Amino acid sequence: MIHRNRREMMVLLAAVSLILLAAVTIAGANVYGDAMVTDFSRKNLPPCLEYPFGTDFMGRDMFVRTIAGLSVSIRLGLVTAAFSAVIAFFMGMAAAVLGKTADGLVSGLIDLMMGIPHILLLILISFACGKGFWGVVIGISMTHWTSLARLIRGEVLQLRESNYMKIAARLGHGKLRTAMVHMTPHLLPQFITGLVLLFPHAILHEASITFLGFGLSPEEPAIGVILSESMKYLVTGEWWLAVFPGVLLVGVVLLFHILGQGVLLILDPERAHE
Amino acid sequence: MRERNKNRWWYAVLAAGLTIGLAGCGEHQEKEEEKAEIKDSVTVVMGPSSEPEAGFDPAYGWGAGEHVHEPLIQSTLTVTNQDLTIGYDLATGMEVSEDGMTWTVDIRKDVRFTDGEPLTAEDVAFTYNTLRDTSSVNDFTMLEEAVAVDGDTVEFHMTKPYSIWPYTMAVVGILPEHAYGPDYGSNPIGSGRYMLKQWDKGQQVILEANPDYYGEAPKMKQVTVLFMEEDAAFAAAKSGQVDLVYTAAAYADQQIKGYELLAFETVDNRGFNLPVIPAGTEDKNGVPLGNDFTSDVRVRRAINVGIDREEMIGNVLNGYGSPAYSVCDKMPWYYEGSEIEYDPELAAELLDEAGWKLGSDGMRQKNGIQAGFTLMYAAGDSVRQALAQDTANQLKELGIQVTVEGVGWDTAYDRAQSDPMMWGWGAHTPMELYNIYHTAPGGEYATYSPYSNETVDRYMDEALACNDLEESYELWKKAQWDGTTGITQEGDIPWIWLVNIDHLYFSRDGLQVAEQKLHPHGHGWSIVNNVDQWSWEF
Repeated sequence: MIHRNRREMMVLLAAVSLILLAAVTIAGANVYGDAMVTDFSRKNLPPCLEYPFGTDFMGRDMFVRTIAGLSVSIRLGLVTAAFSAVIAFFMGMAAAVLGKTADGLVSGLIDLMMGIPHILLLILISFACGKGFWGVVIGISMTHWTSLARLIRGEVLQLRESNYMKIAARLGHGKLRTAMVHMTPHLLPQFITGLVLLFPHAILHEASITFLGFGLSPEEPAIGVILSESMKYLVTGEWWLAVFPGVLLVGVVLLFHILGQGVLLILDPERAHE
Repeated sequence: MRERNKNRWWYAVLAAGLTIGLAGCGEHQEKEEEKAEIKDSVTVVMGPSSEPEAGFDPAYGWGAGEHVHEPLIQSTLTVTNQDLTIGYDLATGMEVSEDGMTWTVDIRKDVRFTDGEPLTAEDVAFTYNTLRDTSSVNDFTMLEEAVAVDGDTVEFHMTKPYSIWPYTMAVVGILPEHAYGPDYGSNPIGSGRYMLKQWDKGQQVILEANPDYYGEAPKMKQVTVLFMEEDAAFAAAKSGQVDLVYTAAAYADQQIKGYELLAFETVDNRGFNLPVIPAGTEDKNGVPLGNDFTSDVRVRRAINVGIDREEMIGNVLNGYGSPAYSVCDKMPWYYEGSEIEYDPELAAELLDEAGWKLGSDGMRQKNGIQAGFTLMYAAGDSVRQALAQDTANQLKELGIQVTVEGVGWDTAYDRAQSDPMMWGWGAHTPMELYNIYHTAPGGEYATYSPYSNETVDRYMDEALACNDLEESYELWKKAQWDGTTGITQEGDIPWIWLVNIDHLYFSRDGLQVAEQKLHPHGHGWSIVNNVDQWSWEF
């Protein structure tokens, strides 16, 4: 038997997570059409072999619907996390590199955004952008770049004081060039980890604002839609409508968390020896 | 030490005994009270949207507006009878002048408001003039002025003849001139069967019988109305806390011990509009009008006969509904010929005739364009969503591709000018026909969906101008179909009506709910229209 150390185990776990998430995403995208199919002849069925997650009030296959919903969530998380990470990267860099005024401005903006309750701002932005997929993406991106931006700013401030940066400046390299060539590689581990850890956030927020009715349209397969619809039927004992999609949502969030931990372990030089 | 412990034990036993004893007493008393109370009081649960936001002021929607019902706290001049013809409440007689411009109504002399003041013709005139100036929910443009001729006679001077004025009078609660002010909504004084005893906003309304009511004394002395979401209402019935609970078809197959399911027929219909003009034009606000697919009358007729309404009722409403063929099924002004048979062959023929040919994939096409449309529904309304979905499934069998989309009311009205939308209507007045099919005053088409037919308009105008109510019913029927044109299958069929949704209630065993009129749209206060005649039987 091959003995693996913690690091190897973590990498393995992260890889498995990645494969699982990719599988759900691809499978979900392929059954998207089926998830919208209604068949009133099979409505309100409890879980059985044919429909492992049961069916709902319009006879939609909840298994297909859940997988498609998770796929929507993951894709939405992907786009959203990328968007907010990019915003965070530039904001953080700008704050640290462009001087005192820019720093004050960006820091103020971060404080302002953090001062307003997330969910409120999110609903507002999503609603203003006409709800739907892009409304949610813009809403979450605009509200979730702040903590990562703050992290990057701190990191850059620290790096700026390091000797090799000062030498680069003395050698006559421009600010932008030093930032891109010398700082970015150092920031990458923090950045990528932050990006991955943004996923679960984005996914949960998508589910919650859709649940509240400000996100995706109710005929779309989305976990938030599924959960909010299920509320009405819980009282009549149709537990399968909420339990399976809910558990799988938690599962996906957990997988992303593991993935994030794995990435951190691989990329962070401080922890390279664990 | 031991002694103290022993004492402690005694205390504990004593405390436990006391608690049980007291609790027992309480329970006993409660039961006694319940028995004494249960004979003449009832607790009814309605949805949260039934709570009148602005209180019990007829000027701001109480009794009138979109969801008509009897105002209970106030009296009305007329009432609608069981068959939705007109009867009298405060009125003792009414007359309309030959030209339809003046209504004269005599009222009872023995009526007092609950503060002891007599109700006079002046109060009636005050009410109507106030509502004309302030009402946000009712159309009073046809009323010029109400005048008290003497203590018990009121004259309504109209701006135009309006034969169905008695239907308006049936929903307008009479206000006391001496006690009307900005806070009337939360402190209403009326002369009706009940008085407002308590209103806990967001929770409940308690009504108490008016001891000086001029009519038959209410059998139910106290009516408590609770406002709850569907699932909470169901749970409340399950725990046996309430007597009559509104519910939806989704819960109808559930059994609750001690309760039976009551289903009341309604004109609470659901249907969708089909824009009759082709796309390409805009109204004066820039809203796009028309739809190329539904602008062909053969397509609209095919859709009308191509939908199996009975199947839909089974699928979506678990059997609790009736097929709808018009916006006013079973009303005195309903044209019976609106009824059609489900006929998929005819539908296919009509579509073929219109040039929409079946392709190898089972869907229809014309010049490379796929037959189909987007059907919208109000997001969050699961019944409308399911009806839209079932419509899509059924039309797919005919080769029509229907895309279902949930929309908010903020955009729905504008979008319905070009895409079909799932609506809910149904009221105790022929005005509903006018609102849906008549060309909007000053506009080119009807308000909710582009449609206009001069002949249909003319019949409705004549019906309103008619000074005999019975005669006007015939004109309303002619507006629906006069033998050559109209809004039915043989006519322009600009709206497709699908189902009338039964209003469902869980009712505690022993509660005798009096016979109901066909409920209008809105699953709310209509049920307690005659709560004064309900009783308990064990």
